Amino acid sequence: MSKIGLIIKREYLSRVSKKSFLLMTVLGPILMVGFMVGAIFLGKQEDKSLNILIHDDTYVVSKPFKPTEQFNLMVFDTTGTKNLDDAKESFKNDESLDLLLYLPETIVEMNNGSGHLYFKEAPSTKTRMYLERLVNESIEKLKLKELNVSLDTYMRLKNKVSLKAIDYKSGKESNVKVKAFVGMAFGVSTFMFIFMYGTLVMKGVIEEKSSRIVEVIVSSVKPFELMMGKIIGIMFVGLTQFAVWIILSSIFGSIAMGMIDSEFYSAANQSPEVIAGMSNVQANIINTLLEINWVLLIGLFFFYFIGGYLLYGALMAAIGAAVDNETDSQQFMVPITAPLMFSYLIVILSIDNPNSPVLFWCSQIPFTSPVVMLARAAMGSEGLWWQIITSMLLLIVTFIATTWLAGKIYRTGILMHGKKITWQELWKWIKYKG
Amino acid sequence: MFVMNEVTPVFEARNIVKTYANHIALDNVSISVPPQSIFGLLGPNGAGKTSLIRIINQITAPDSGEILINGEKLKRKHIEDIGYLPEERGLYKKMKIGEQAIYLAQLKGMSRNEARTELKKWFIKFEIESWWNKKVEDLSKGMAQKIQFITTIIHRPKLLILDEPFSGFDPINANLIKNEIMELRDNGATIILSTHNMESVEEICDDMALINKSKKILGGKVKEVKESFSKNQYKIEFKGNMVSFANAVWGGWEMIEKEELSKNHFMVQVKLNEKMELNNFLKGLLDAVEVISFNKVALSMNEIFIKMVKENSDTQNVSEK
Repeated sequence: MSKIGLIIKREYLSRVSKKSFLLMTVLGPILMVGFMVGAIFLGKQEDKSLNILIHDDTYVVSKPFKPTEQFNLMVFDTTGTKNLDDAKESFKNDESLDLLLYLPETIVEMNNGSGHLYFKEAPSTKTRMYLERLVNESIEKLKLKELNVSLDTYMRLKNKVSLKAIDYKSGKESNVKVKAFVGMAFGVSTFMFIFMYGTLVMKGVIEEKSSRIVEVIVSSVKPFELMMGKIIGIMFVGLTQFAVWIILSSIFGSIAMGMIDSEFYSAANQSPEVIAGMSNVQANIINTLLEINWVLLIGLFFFYFIGGYLLYGALMAAIGAAVDNETDSQQFMVPITAPLMFSYLIVILSIDNPNSPVLFWCSQIPFTSPVVMLARAAMGSEGLWWQIITSMLLLIVTFIATTWLAGKIYRTGILMHGKKITWQELWKWIKYKG
Repeated sequence: MFVMNEVTPVFEARNIVKTYANHIALDNVSISVPPQSIFGLLGPNGAGKTSLIRIINQITAPDSGEILINGEKLKRKHIEDIGYLPEERGLYKKMKIGEQAIYLAQLKGMSRNEARTELKKWFIKFEIESWWNKKVEDLSKGMAQKIQFITTIIHRPKLLILDEPFSGFDPINANLIKNEIMELRDNGATIILSTHNMESVEEICDDMALINKSKKILGGKVKEVKESFSKNQYKIEFKGNMVSFANAVWGGWEMIEKEELSKNHFMVQVKLNEKMELNNFLKGLLDAVEVISFNKVALSMNEIFIKMVKENSDTQNVSEK
């Protein structure tokens, strides 16, 4: 086995065989699926029925309210002899009551009055929105009567126009938001992976330097081979972890989905309207997802992860070599991680403006392109092909350059102890010959 | 036909110059190490020893000059012929010792199986078989040093470079290593030993070079160097008048040091010229003063080291002014 092969093997095996790696690799997908399942459970749990006490100072607003299966609405006082404090008192004493809805007299006078919703356990957004809608509808009807407008006329006045975004070439409706979310997910994943594994490279270099083993090793292999061996070895650790995560997530995910299906969707079957309504939105999302070129996106993900990792990994290796311990690395870390952080922000902002020139430039600049280009590729746009190619070429050229530069700093830095390193000092190292 | 009447040195450095941004680490340094010998590379801290050692190990390259191994220009392949124990040395803390030793041996070109077999032998020899599966963080400093020594010599290098090999060892283990080094030499290895421990230089080194402020200021066989420093030098303790001592023998000698121990009681150090016969000098003295003791001067390596470095620094300071 070649020497660089030996180094790659050691870097890889020593990390993969660690307990913490196994734990992260197995727990990662479990946690991820767990969070998702948890979120779905939480969402579904709202379906438990609520007892809601209503104290209505207007007497009229709550009149048309009817209890449903989920929201058991009860008007507290119809005689006008009791006040809010009495309502609160009985809300407090009766354990079966979940919420107390208070509608003050002023609520009908203005267009944006507000009522109160007292709770023992904070109500879900869904519950609050349902109650708001109920109150608004009731007030609207009262006002219609007062203004002598028929419900029919009112319904004709009320408009709800929506715009469908359609790609003029394919003639298909496209949901840019969904695509942008997918792009963001990919962009953020590369960001995380580059950052995580780049930091591992830096820590590895610091460990070798501070444990003083490095001089023994560079008497057997070239410093550049040691640096590259470490970077490549850790890259394989990253790819392994990623592959395992994808496999485990899909296994756990499908198991979890199966469980959720049988428990919840059987109940939902009872109301076909809900399903019809939901499937419309879902179909839109699924159509959009199907439009995305997944093969391209996953291919790009690997390219940009590897390219971006090599670029940042080399720089992190240089930082690791320049400092004596992790605390000293901060001053150099900030300027290097800033573009990475910036690209992360850009991707999040891209959801609202997928065609901004900032996004274009950031997808070309190699320090931001690994994150930004992925997001753009997911959204898809005219003439992206040549942009992807130039961005890839730029990334390749740049990581070769940073690796060369890092090699120079690394070579001098790893044997330098107890010296406070400045940027000028680093520049000197780059200029050293041989 | 040209006949070589001298043995080709295992290692030779010719006119090595190495400069860093604003200082010269090595200024035209040449050394030559004969085969199967132990060579003491001496010098104060920061003299340039480590720079030279790193050049031999191809960690850095010289600005000019050349390094020859067995008469061949230094190349990448020579790495496997060299074993290097750096002064700043360590091991991977979290890696098992056996695995780590195999890895380091593989980097020196050994196969996995060969490395394992050889390592087991050494572990048995040093009575440390039980450490094979331990981690370095569980070992003491001295224990780790033993492992480092083994990994330096495991691939049977023809040239061994040991930088302060005794530091961190207790006297018993230092002795063990010392014997090991001599055995390696007797079995054919050539060793460059960089150390501040002058006692061990006298004890085990055959040749030496002294580097100070990036220049070689002294070199040769250890015995000859010592001899040259004490040649024709004597310490004399006498009672009597200093003036009569000085006039006892006219010419052919010089006084290097004098010390008044008490009134009319002196200790002096003299150096005789080539032509002056010791007996004649003594005869002259006996007539003039009462000689209490008379001894040949024998400087230790330690004294030679301090003397040379001091003198060298003084002359440099003068020339700089």
